[in-house]
Amino acid sequence: MPVLEINNISKSYGKIQALNGVSFSVPKGSVFGILGPNGSGKTTMLSIILDVLQSDGGNYTWFGQPPSNLHRKKIGSLLETPNLYHYLTAVQNLRITKSISGRGSDIEINEVLQKVKLHERKNSRFTTYSLGMKQRLAIAGALLGNPSVLVLDEPTNGLDPVGIAEIRELIKDLAKEGHTIIMASHLLDEVEKVCDHVAILKRGKLITHGNVSDVLSDEDCFLIGSSSLQLLEVMKSFDGIKQVKQTDDGVECYFNKAFVKPENINEFCFSKGIILNQLASKKKRLEEKFFELTGD
Amino acid sequence: MIKNILQTEWLKVKNYRAFWLLLSVTAISYPGINGVAYYAFMDSIDAKSQSGQLVKMLLGNPFAFPQTFHTTAYLSSFFTFIPAIVVIMLITNEYMFKTHRQNIIDGWKKNTFVWGKMLSVLFITLIVTLFYVAVAVAIGIIATKDFENAQLFNQSQFIVLFFLQVFCQLSIAFLLGLLIRKAFIAYGIYIFYTFILENILGGLFKLKAKKWGADFGHYLPFEISDRLIPLPPFIGKFNEAENKLAIAAINDHVLYTLILTAAVWAISFYIFKKRDL
Repeated sequence: MPVLEINNISKSYGKIQALNGVSFSVPKGSVFGILGPNGSGKTTMLSIILDVLQSDGGNYTWFGQPPSNLHRKKIGSLLETPNLYHYLTAVQNLRITKSISGRGSDIEINEVLQKVKLHERKNSRFTTYSLGMKQRLAIAGALLGNPSVLVLDEPTNGLDPVGIAEIRELIKDLAKEGHTIIMASHLLDEVEKVCDHVAILKRGKLITHGNVSDVLSDEDCFLIGSSSLQLLEVMKSFDGIKQVKQTDDGVECYFNKAFVKPENINEFCFSKGIILNQLASKKKRLEEKFFELTGD
Repeated sequence: MIKNILQTEWLKVKNYRAFWLLLSVTAISYPGINGVAYYAFMDSIDAKSQSGQLVKMLLGNPFAFPQTFHTTAYLSSFFTFIPAIVVIMLITNEYMFKTHRQNIIDGWKKNTFVWGKMLSVLFITLIVTLFYVAVAVAIGIIATKDFENAQLFNQSQFIVLFFLQVFCQLSIAFLLGLLIRKAFIAYGIYIFYTFILENILGGLFKLKAKKWGADFGHYLPFEISDRLIPLPPFIGKFNEAENKLAIAAINDHVLYTLILTAAVWAISFYIFKKRDL
């Protein structure tokens, strides 16, 4: 049973269609990345599943049940910006989170503050924090009580490189412990490093979703090289090739997934009198795939 | 459930200095206005002039028991705008910090959030009423010469009427904050409406009262509950007929105030439930 199942969700703000019939499901124990450029509907999607916004159409379920506030109590969430009381300290803010959600204890408040490295400033007021510290406190609120599901909207927003790496490791550790993490981000590197599932949105529409390796590997790419200047032209005549291009590293050749094996390419080149000095399978990066899918 | 809501709302205000500062200003304003009025009155009747003696003979002492409950309620009600600012601050803060969203995300129902604010408004009303009762009793003790014949709590119904008036007016302030969401705009509208616009409208309705057969100014949002505490007799004597009508209409205005307050909260619950956060 998926932790979250979204069916045909739509939402518009006046004439702007923020989400248009989006459907996907989040498997239990996955780190699910919701990707998309600014304005693609990521935060709107998370706001709907957290009951902050009402959808115009469609529905969703948490843990296989119609959504309720009891589900939200069990989910640690950070939405858009750190939403905390400016005049209160870290501990006082987390006590409110604890009081509302029923998650955690005073001891656990100290533990999560240690986890996000805010323990030394735990009695400072929120207004005195830097943007990164505010973000850490919001993450601490989401982690309080060790919820099995986390919804994190741009969790590394405002953090310095060390902070980004720490949160990334934290997410990986939580995933290892079996937590389900739903994370929206436009930082592709971040998503590629921590997520095992991904959904890509563009202008409110779901472009693709699924296991990261499946999403990335819908085609095979080989990087080949030779001292021959004819390599590029020769490869263009390869039967079934989708795309071929010269790069600084060599010639990149794209084929439909599992259409061709490396030895076929080697054999073909040899038959054309070209001896390859490089032949490697190239893994497509999420960034490339993202631009490919979301580019106009 | 109610205990959890109260506990959470308490955590929000317990360490909020501005909240306690404004309540302290309210606490000072009540003995302030009533004390000034009391000493001004005492000065006037202590005067050896004939007019001073006439005032004493005609009016008695409006600050002695049991009239103190009515007189101090009337004077204190001029300062309801201070706790109203506190109430507006509490709701607009939630919008400013976006904590209204976080409360829902963390697991409250939207109704629970509004219940929390309603209980906060009740709590503030209770504190303000306690300030008023303390001042009324203190001034009553100072002003009463003959405790044996004084009917000490004869007019204590004004405690309930004051509570109801404050709760109604603070509820309207809450709705305003909920609708406007921006603190300073909400303060501005509240002050402008209560001190200027409603008085102008009241005057206009009064002018048209004969033509229309009724003074509809009595049913303006704040006037409805203002009429729970009519002019105290020592002022009302200057227009006795009108004051008698006002006193006779108190029961009707209790009903109107209850209906208005219920409507304000029903609208608040509806708006918060239906509006995207």
